[in-house]
Amino acid sequence: MDEEPERAKRWEGGYERTWEVLKEDESGSLKATVEEILFQSKRKRVIESHGQVRLGMMRHLHVVIDCSRSMEDQDLKPNRLTSTLKLLETFVDEYFDQNPISQLGLITTKNKRAEKLTDLAGNPKKHAAALKKAVDTVCLGEPSIYNSLNLAIQTLKHMPGHTSREILIILSSLTTCDPANICELIKTLKSLKVRVSVIGLSAEVRVCTVLTRETGGSYHVILDESHFKELLMLHVKPPPASSSSECSLIRMGFPQHTIASLTDQDAKPSFTASGVAPGLSLGGYFCPQCHAKYTELPVECKVCGLTLVSAPHLARSFHHLFPLQAFIESPVEEFQEDRFCQACQGELKDKSIFTCPSCRSVFCVECDLFIHDLLHCCPCCIHSQSAP
Amino acid sequence: MKLNIEGLLVYFPYDYIYPEQYSYMLELKRTLDAKGHGVLEMPSGTGKTISLLSLIVAYQKAFPLEVTKLIYCSRTVPEIEKVVEELRKLMEFYSKQTGESNNFLALALSSRKNLCIHPEVSALRFGKEVDGKCHSLTASYIRAQRHSTPDVPVCRFYEEFDAVGRQVPLPAGIYNLDDLKDFGRRKGWCPYYLARYSILHANIVVYSYHYLLDPKIADLVSKELAKNSVVVFDEAHNIDNVCIDSMSVNITRRTLDRCHTNVDTLQNTIQKIKETDAAKLKMEYRRLVEGLKEANVARETDVYLANPVLPDEILKEAVPGNIRTAEHFVGFLKRFLEYLKSRLRVQHVVQESAPQFLKDIFDKVCIDRKPLRFCAERLQSLLRTLEIADIADFSAVTLISNFATLVSTYSQGFTIIIEPFEDRTPTIANPVLHFSCMDPSIAIKPVFQRFQSVIITSGTLSPLDIYPRILDFRPVTMASFTMTLARTCLCPLIVGRGNDQVALSSKFETREDFAVIRNYGNLLLEMSAIVPDGIVAFFTSYVYMENIVASWYEQGILENIQRNKLIFIETPDAAETSMALEKYQEACENGRGAILLSVARGKVSEGIDFVHHFGRAVIMFGVPYVYTQSRILKARLEYLRDQFQIRENDFLTFDAMRHAAQCVGRAIRGKTDYGLMIFADKRYARADKRGKLPRWIQEHINDGSLNLTVDEAVQLSKHFLRQMAQPFRQEDQLGLSLLTLEQLESEEMLQKIAKIAHQT
Repeated sequence: MDEEPERAKRWEGGYERTWEVLKEDESGSLKATVEEILFQSKRKRVIESHGQVRLGMMRHLHVVIDCSRSMEDQDLKPNRLTSTLKLLETFVDEYFDQNPISQLGLITTKNKRAEKLTDLAGNPKKHAAALKKAVDTVCLGEPSIYNSLNLAIQTLKHMPGHTSREILIILSSLTTCDPANICELIKTLKSLKVRVSVIGLSAEVRVCTVLTRETGGSYHVILDESHFKELLMLHVKPPPASSSSECSLIRMGFPQHTIASLTDQDAKPSFTASGVAPGLSLGGYFCPQCHAKYTELPVECKVCGLTLVSAPHLARSFHHLFPLQAFIESPVEEFQEDRFCQACQGELKDKSIFTCPSCRSVFCVECDLFIHDLLHCCPCCIHSQSAP
Repeated sequence: MKLNIEGLLVYFPYDYIYPEQYSYMLELKRTLDAKGHGVLEMPSGTGKTISLLSLIVAYQKAFPLEVTKLIYCSRTVPEIEKVVEELRKLMEFYSKQTGESNNFLALALSSRKNLCIHPEVSALRFGKEVDGKCHSLTASYIRAQRHSTPDVPVCRFYEEFDAVGRQVPLPAGIYNLDDLKDFGRRKGWCPYYLARYSILHANIVVYSYHYLLDPKIADLVSKELAKNSVVVFDEAHNIDNVCIDSMSVNITRRTLDRCHTNVDTLQNTIQKIKETDAAKLKMEYRRLVEGLKEANVARETDVYLANPVLPDEILKEAVPGNIRTAEHFVGFLKRFLEYLKSRLRVQHVVQESAPQFLKDIFDKVCIDRKPLRFCAERLQSLLRTLEIADIADFSAVTLISNFATLVSTYSQGFTIIIEPFEDRTPTIANPVLHFSCMDPSIAIKPVFQRFQSVIITSGTLSPLDIYPRILDFRPVTMASFTMTLARTCLCPLIVGRGNDQVALSSKFETREDFAVIRNYGNLLLEMSAIVPDGIVAFFTSYVYMENIVASWYEQGILENIQRNKLIFIETPDAAETSMALEKYQEACENGRGAILLSVARGKVSEGIDFVHHFGRAVIMFGVPYVYTQSRILKARLEYLRDQFQIRENDFLTFDAMRHAAQCVGRAIRGKTDYGLMIFADKRYARADKRGKLPRWIQEHINDGSLNLTVDEAVQLSKHFLRQMAQPFRQEDQLGLSLLTLEQLESEEMLQKIAKIAHQT
């Protein structure tokens, strides 16, 4: 009987109108129109991102997590906090996967204060661990946007000018309790070229609109959990660099992974300079400049400050610079041949189809999004290249 | 863009047009073609003003002989300024498109307080002071005196205007109040008199209702406006109350005391003049014998706007003998005053009709009906003769004489109520004589009769058919327009029950009910947690609000609400309220969030717009019925029933619902705006209440949002707010609720547009 001790009884839970989701919409009612708009913007995003723009590949991102009373709300299951943290875990993974030479820090805000959860660092494991631990936090009081931004600025402002400085706020509460006028702070952020983006969990708050508009970030409000995830993943992609950011050459080290025992018989395990689990190990990456040993890449050398990456890391962020061209959208009626998607082989039922401009292959909407969001290359083009 | 409205070329200064604007212009054109009156309801924020202006201006250009003038009446100075700015945009567009320079003269007119440029006079703070001071500098005999004694101060701007200003008409162009002042300063002319003079030949005049409806002011300002003008009353949902107020008189003991001193001054002045300049009084006497014939001639040739205070019959007769000489008249006034004083000494409430009052006054102090009717005119003449500069001081005696004229002129449509004390404070004696007008058509009748087309328009005029009935006119068009929307940006919810299933209502029996108050508190608390930025809550009255807020405080609800948002309260004090408003907006601006508790029919509910984040939700606690125990209201209801066959209940509901609609309409000020409208009373769900809401609100109330509990409302609101927070750009509106010229001209769209207007 006590299989689900956590879950509240049905009659204790919130009131839901589950049938509304299934509502038919012939009269152009609310749901249909909003979803249509969303679909359009989804496509737009794919299209917009294609253009030769300079991207801020080295990112410094502070994620501010609201831990105020309103995070206990159960409209995301099981509650907002747990759901958010879970999504953030995947976000952190994805973030480092796509931006291997970037860094991330976590800040929580509750009870009118802001606290640093993790420092700005490049290691996903540490952040993931911190996020796991944060599930048990007690949510109380109001958040303070001002304090969190202030805390984030403290570290961001020391970051070099060629990197992008970003803050992502996940805001559940509709109010912020600030010690001073936030407009002043917004000006400071603007002058420091910090880009602030907000994901709202409940509704549109004016101050966030202003904040994001002024600093050039984006502001979105979630509809449900999957939309939340989608919005979070938007922030995985590096944003276009502001034209005024400095250009400079960056020294980078590309250490090889070496295992001492292969070359030297009486090799002893040695300590790593830094890592998640400091301890003795045989193999590792050695900094080409000072020979400090690291178990994982990418990392900034603790001794000489050199950025250590591996070549695949750089290659992985490559596709941002040379993105796949947008496919051409056309109504399905105009298409004469067999109506099958080249990727999933499914029938083309939607009202529009998408054609690759280089190989003229035809795809459905889902595959179009999949190719652009994940594959970053047209499968048919690859196929025709490797065939001969 | 250039539109073709049934053959009329209309220049519209924007690239896009809302479908309802097009439909509105169609209806307006038909009204003008028929040379009749119209009642048009269109939601706020859909560009009513520009549609009106562009169509009527186009009409004026196309048929210069049929419509010579547009008289645009609005309520407040900021609204007047807004209209002028729209007009300026339109005219710029005209001259850009046609390449001709503009030959239109349009100007705004406001009180001396807003237009005076005299360094000393304009520094005064109150309108009355400015008027009085101005009069003391510009009255004709003051200026005459100056010829003999040059050290009498006069206003040099007025002198300059009088000397040269009348010969050259004001150059064509668009003048708002500041432009007029600038022009006046440049030329050294008085802008106020310049504007008053110029409205006679201006193509477009923008001013306040009162210049047309209040007989005292209309007589001075709007008397000679051309007959083939189009009159527009914007925001006219309260027009009947304006009419009634302009004709009603309240007399307290203080009025009488001040009147007494007035009469004494009059007597002394007469005495003095008699010694120095008896000839002057004789001349006046002679003039009065001749009667008001001249005025009569003018009116018969249809040059003047009729003045309801000065009925036609008076003009044909000479002033009766017993008030012809100045002393007799003063004696007469004294007797009248004493009589009023004795009437105010009552211990119980008296209600009587005008004929009863006249009979009583005849029995008691032998005052006949006839001299009473001439009272107002006679006093004006005396004041002129006595050369009393500061008319402001004589407001009390003017009021009394107006009362005398009105009471003896109209045997119907008015009632006299004498209350020895206020209902709320039965122990404090504060006798008031209400001479209250019950028939708004009396004041507005001359306007309907004189002008060729009168358009009454507002965002909330439902139900449309009641306005022609209470204002007693026959419109040629009555139409209500809906708002075409790309997304449903308004969400009206009727919350009828608390979470514990207690029926929510502000009706009298349950007003003190603890459970209802608690549930109302609960509603506000829950809403404060899910609605971002600003919430405006309206109560039915100040007393009710005080009670509820006090008991919320005791129950600790207020404290909980304050965790989510700050709370501000509207008070009857204007300064306090504007302070609260300012802070409220600040709190909305910087993310703290705020709640404004205010009162339906108050300042906030009428004049303040809560755009975007300033009002994401409006909660209407209860149905804002007017205080039904008031005797004036009862008398009016009775009158409406007898004269117009409008049942008491119908009128009360109509009045309550138009105020409720006004309140909730504060939240939506345009198509990009969005807001929740929460009606927290079970009674709104009934068809008779719901059916009286404007159509553009009504059509979004589906059966599912009728008798909701607080919880259900919260769920719906949450969903709505999330939907609305999704990015929304102009392109999303295009083709649906915003049209380009090509889209507009498509056959399909024209069919759709035909459905927007809802004729009644």
